[in-house]
Amino acid sequence: MANLKEIKRKIGSVKNTQKTTRAMKLVSTAKLRRTEELAKRSRSYEEAINQTMSEIASSIRKYKVGGIQGRYFEESELPAVVDIIFITADKGLCGGFNFQTIKTVRNLIADYEKRGSKVRLKAIGKKGIEFFRFQGYPLESAVVGLSSSPDYKRAAQFIETTVQEFLEGESDKVVLVHNGYKNMITQEMKQIDLLPIDITAFKDVEVTSMMELEPDEGEKVLESLINKYIEFNMYYALIDSLAAEHSARMQAMDAATKNAKEMVEKLTISYNKARQESITTELIEIISGMEAMK
Amino acid sequence: MDSLKLEIVTPQGLIFQGEVKSVTFPGEEGEFGVLPRHASLLALLKPGVIEIEKIDGNKESIVINWGHVKVGEQGATALVDGAIPLEGASESEIAKKIEEAKELIEKASENKAALAAVEARIEKAAKII
Repeated sequence: MANLKEIKRKIGSVKNTQKTTRAMKLVSTAKLRRTEELAKRSRSYEEAINQTMSEIASSIRKYKVGGIQGRYFEESELPAVVDIIFITADKGLCGGFNFQTIKTVRNLIADYEKRGSKVRLKAIGKKGIEFFRFQGYPLESAVVGLSSSPDYKRAAQFIETTVQEFLEGESDKVVLVHNGYKNMITQEMKQIDLLPIDITAFKDVEVTSMMELEPDEGEKVLESLINKYIEFNMYYALIDSLAAEHSARMQAMDAATKNAKEMVEKLTISYNKARQESITTELIEIISGMEAMK
Repeated sequence: MDSLKLEIVTPQGLIFQGEVKSVTFPGEEGEFGVLPRHASLLALLKPGVIEIEKIDGNKESIVINWGHVKVGEQGATALVDGAIPLEGASESEIAKKIEEAKELIEKASENKAALAAVEARIEKAAKII
């Protein structure tokens, strides 16, 4: 009899879990839609800034005007210090989302260390921070709360110190690792070399006339534009990561709901079996009791 | 009629896109106007008002805090940090926009004199609407 009660309690608890996972899935779906909208709006800025950067890169190539010197574009063969910025979620329950990023970061660390570079980690998102703290990796900086609500100002502040350190020569390369949104059901790992900027990556654009710069010191214009470009890349990565997080959670919760449903079905069957069994035993007891009375 | 393509974008989204007759930007070294077929130019912008003259002669003002503009023969693309278009269906809406615009400028600049000048420009622009 105790068995019956136990099964019934189990069914109840699984059903409750199912309710939670279903609600979480719905919430993620709604949030994903909102983040997608945000990403879509940012994309027009991305296009514009990429276009501008390509035009500048093309005119630099064509007219060999200055501005190409400076640390922004210098690719060192073997970076002595590499900054790895990685974005994970603040919350779990989203399948392999966080761990994929962590795994990629660990591979990167191993890769760079094998080549003799020193790696500094900069983490955004609680899950990644927790993991690396537990493993005993020193974290150069750790930011919580930015990955769940991307904010341009905070993203800019975060990246500013990194850029400053890069310019002062404290680091030689900045890599950004995050999980990106591909579509509703797939995420892909993205690994962006933020600094130095690879100008060969920009496509060639037809430049018809020499570009004038205002104020005259071209460096200043170029520098602020590059800063903007990096800031925006950072911000966009955060949005992209958030969208990926929601889609990953949506999937994980969908799977959890399905599993819970299956489990309830299984438990119900065993509950019925146990119930039948107990009825049969009772009947046998009654019948054999009657037989004995005869 | 000659026209140039103008695009104003912020990280949060597109603010303005379309063919215009002329446009005035608040450049770092002073205000400058852009007409169709302007020479290529990349300029820094400071807090101020972008004034747009549309094809139909109507004017539109957009308050910005900071950014860049890239002018080419085909048109102009402004990449700005924050922008608030001074427009609205009713007077109260416009008044609200003006407040927002002032706040945006105040955050972007510490120079009181420049601030006052920009605020005056905002008021003036608002009157035209």
